[in-house]
Amino acid sequence: MSDVREELRTRIREELAPANAAVVIRGGPDTLSPLRSHARRLNRLYMLDGEDVFGVSVFVVQDEIGPASERSILGSKLRSYPMIYRTTVGQLTTLGFEVLATFTSPHFTVVMPTLDRVDDLVNAFGRLLPNPYAEGPKEEP
Amino acid sequence: MTRVDIPADLNSEDESGFVWTFLDEAHDPSVIRPGEVVVAGSPLTPAVCEVVDIVDKPTGTIVHLRVLPGTIEQYRRLLTRLGA
Repeated sequence: MSDVREELRTRIREELAPANAAVVIRGGPDTLSPLRSHARRLNRLYMLDGEDVFGVSVFVVQDEIGPASERSILGSKLRSYPMIYRTTVGQLTTLGFEVLATFTSPHFTVVMPTLDRVDDLVNAFGRLLPNPYAEGPKEEP
Repeated sequence: MTRVDIPADLNSEDESGFVWTFLDEAHDPSVIRPGEVVVAGSPLTPAVCEVVDIVDKPTGTIVHLRVLPGTIEQYRRLLTRLGA
């Protein structure tokens, strides 16, 4: 029976790979279980080059201003997340993860070699940080 | 923790630019209809979302979600003020 999943390769943007120093942001917190669920969800809908693909979504800062800037990502795409993870492309690729420019900028997918690497991915994302641009009442100065 | 109507990774967008997830993961799929306002995400990271559309695919039915402004707590306070 043929694989009816969609090919993720066709959703990869043709653009220069982000620099190793480029900042990667993801709304959190994440634990192993939901991250595995998210990775499995991607694999249910997509394959990569005809094979299983386990990955999670992130946003990569590509500009100092505009929609791909850190401030814009934190205040729009991730405004519902009071806490975020912040790492770099180089940190992820050094640990063996692939960072693919998928769908619409500044969205990227971090692809794991196997689903077993979820715990390494959690460690690579580092500690939770407050999102200064999250929505909700702001405290009086 | 908040119980969500439909689990989703609110970081996850597809070519539509909206958050996507599978309908069959919903607590009660019958409430997931275009235009409906639902709670999506995870119990740790819930958000109020609008169901944009529902798309049948060979691997399952996809739900597109638009994350609406405001926190769950803000919606709770609003409903309290309204006496709902």
